[in-house]
Amino acid sequence: MSPLLIVVLRVLAAIGLMLANGVVLIYMLRKVLGHLHVRLGPMHMGPKGVLQTTMDVLKLLTKEDVTPTNVDKVLFFIAPALVFVPALMAYAAIPFSETWRITDLDTGLLYSFAALSVIPIGLLMAGWASANKWSLLGGMRAAGQQIAYEVPLLLSVLPVVMVVGSLNMSDIVAAQSGLWFVIPQLPAFVIFAIAGLVELNQTPFDMSEAESELVAGFASEYSAMKFGLLFLSEFSNSFIMSAIGVTVFFGGWMIPFVPAEVMQPVAPVIFMTKVYIGIFFMMWIRGTFPRVRIDQLMQLGWKWLIPASLAWIMITGLVIKVWQLGPGAS
Amino acid sequence: MSDPRDDVISVGALAAEGTHSAGDPPAGIRRVPSGVDGLTTEHLIINMGPQHPSTHGVLRLLIEVDGEEVLAAETSLGYLHRGIEKLAESRKYHQLGTLMDRGDYVSGMHGEQAAALATEKLLEVTVPDKARYIRTLVAELTRLASHLVWYGTFGLDTGAMGQFLYAVRDREVLLDILEEISGQRMMFNYIRPGGVVADLPVGIEKKILDFLTDFDVHLEEHHALLGGNEIFQMRVKGIGTISREMALAFALSGANLRATGVGFDVRRDRPYDAYPDLDFDVPVGSTGDAWDRYMVRMEEMRQSVRMVRQCIEGMPEGDFTAKVPKVIRPAEGEVYASVESSRGETGVHLVSDGSPEPYRYHYRGPSLFACQVLEEILPGHLLADVVMMIGSLDIMLGEADR
Amino acid sequence: MLPDATAVSHILTAAGVSNAVVATETLGVVCRLEAASVLRALEALRDGELDFRVLLDFLGADTGEEIEVTYHLRSLTRDEELFIKATVAYDGELRSVWNIYASALMPERETAELLGLSLVGHPNPKRLLTTDGVEPLLRKSVPIRTVEEVRNR
Repeated sequence: MSPLLIVVLRVLAAIGLMLANGVVLIYMLRKVLGHLHVRLGPMHMGPKGVLQTTMDVLKLLTKEDVTPTNVDKVLFFIAPALVFVPALMAYAAIPFSETWRITDLDTGLLYSFAALSVIPIGLLMAGWASANKWSLLGGMRAAGQQIAYEVPLLLSVLPVVMVVGSLNMSDIVAAQSGLWFVIPQLPAFVIFAIAGLVELNQTPFDMSEAESELVAGFASEYSAMKFGLLFLSEFSNSFIMSAIGVTVFFGGWMIPFVPAEVMQPVAPVIFMTKVYIGIFFMMWIRGTFPRVRIDQLMQLGWKWLIPASLAWIMITGLVIKVWQLGPGAS
Repeated sequence: MSDPRDDVISVGALAAEGTHSAGDPPAGIRRVPSGVDGLTTEHLIINMGPQHPSTHGVLRLLIEVDGEEVLAAETSLGYLHRGIEKLAESRKYHQLGTLMDRGDYVSGMHGEQAAALATEKLLEVTVPDKARYIRTLVAELTRLASHLVWYGTFGLDTGAMGQFLYAVRDREVLLDILEEISGQRMMFNYIRPGGVVADLPVGIEKKILDFLTDFDVHLEEHHALLGGNEIFQMRVKGIGTISREMALAFALSGANLRATGVGFDVRRDRPYDAYPDLDFDVPVGSTGDAWDRYMVRMEEMRQSVRMVRQCIEGMPEGDFTAKVPKVIRPAEGEVYASVESSRGETGVHLVSDGSPEPYRYHYRGPSLFACQVLEEILPGHLLADVVMMIGSLDIMLGEADR
Repeated sequence: MLPDATAVSHILTAAGVSNAVVATETLGVVCRLEAASVLRALEALRDGELDFRVLLDFLGADTGEEIEVTYHLRSLTRDEELFIKATVAYDGELRSVWNIYASALMPERETAELLGLSLVGHPNPKRLLTTDGVEPLLRKSVPIRTVEEVRNR
């Protein structure tokens, strides 16, 4: 096989994974929220409603794509793509197992975060181009909160990088064969979880599309598959954030005290299970918590999370230095 | 090139369309100057509603914002105006209840009760004891159902989806009970001048008591789900504070008034039906913010449960209605009767000219006054607080627009 | 519940309101006065010793000859209620009392539009419930459609 073909196949695999994930996650969201809310969720399409999301995708594909008169047509058209493509790009560096990955990047962690940080531009563009005040407010909120929380999000994984000494995701997983980083790095994980929820626009930080305040935020004027892309990228983002969390703090495809040979054949399954458990927790939070206010969110970010993550970086650095000078010196 | 600032319409300018001199504003009312300030931020006029998802029906707010901060707000009503007052002038007296059901459509019994009490005042009939107790019983059950809707939507307004359906689950049982009593889920038309339309069905007491046994637990669960949440407390504490003076100036009533520390309750201070016989407390708040309103309403639900129990225990024997002529022709006169509905003091001002139809029928909806105070408390808050405050005031547009 | 009628008339006379008739009717204690002196009377009652701090409700009614407006006052400290009535001619002017009682803002707009009065001294004298061009619905001269009319429409 030519190298080009392999690259094309890998990209197709990423797209396929993303679409399949979207369909599964939407169904999962509906069922999880349904059962949290003492109701059943979708029940009519197929057994237990499993075909509901498929039908929804078909509906979105066949619906009329309405472009309101006053929108900035170019930006209105580009924005969903600009949200969708980075979400797709971020799949590249995620290791599903030792061999299952789209590409093995030495700066994989940084690359994933870099890809995710392009998304606010797309959201702001969508909000601005929609010629709708609610969309504008939603886009502004999305850009504001995501840019503000990039900082604590990156700072929260830095201690792990310092311990491992590599940005390669496979190396980070390999370093956790004995102990998951969530135990020694618990404060970093807490900061990561909060900042990650903000990055994902998830409840309790879903300011940008707060349905009770801003109708649907930046997505108000979108319809048909353009809306579908915005919607899908959101689920894809939560998958990526959960995958990064699993890789950095929960040992990726590995389970402690189980020999690598036993795990190897089922590694992707273990990884996916962990990721889905992470997503389940996000949905749990989504179905339970009220929304914080935008000023409270910003205060939490700048006044608490950033200082806390900086302090934790310093503590980790000191411990590493003491270890190098003391017990680890020999 | 024209100054772009010319395009900015201010709500203040909208308000001053008719060029009457407004005079000095009274104490306690502030008018935030609108337009563009010295900085180069452009203010935005947002039209919130009547198709907005969380304006509780068809409330329309014109909000002037600087970024996220609300500078001025104007309430615009009338999207649900059906002319109930005019229609009542061509209805017979016993038909007034059907109109009141459609006023405050979430707590219909209270409207019917107000209309029936006003008619009885004109007729000077004595309502049998059993009818008084049945009325009080269904009124308190309706209050529970209505407060559960408020509780659920208040959570939705702050972004919490979880507790809404838990509240609706309890409300569903209540509506089933009310349906069994009256034959309808929300448009009851059960309370008529002179009494009620039918006796309680056999075995309903057990159903109600069974429900209350569950509800005692569920109510504390509801409180823990929403009120026990740190984020929710962060959102409501100290927000939307209404001072006592403002509450009196704007004639607030019900929980909105009591949250400011004024302990006026029609049930206690203008007793009607079986309330003089019942033992209940009137909860009051202290600061008048959204949290106090929440706590007062939650406590009201506990008191309603107490009252329902007392009504069932003390239910007397006897007739469920007094002898009232088929076509009611009250003497000429003018009366005012009010009840404590879920939202405040629902009053009926009735003028009779001796004919079978009311001459003038006026319906005082407490939500109309809550809508007014909204214009006053919104400035200075953030956009996210707007929906939260609409929820905390428990506005029902059916009775504001009538 | 019922205020002392003589105390009410004392306050009104002290405030310079003449021709005020205070009487106890089926409605309660009703004070009838001229439309021109309503503002002065309300201000005196609010600040006077009877402490009528709340304007509970405001409504108008078409008596067949003119419009009768009713101010429903409540004093929470003394637990008393008082009704002030005044008459306004058809197409007359309704003077706003919002400077004294802010709760009158919307009920006044509603009364003015539904009874065809012009609202004076109000900060926002727009229509509240109906759109422009709707006739004053609560006037007795404005009929509503009968069942037959609706059926034959």
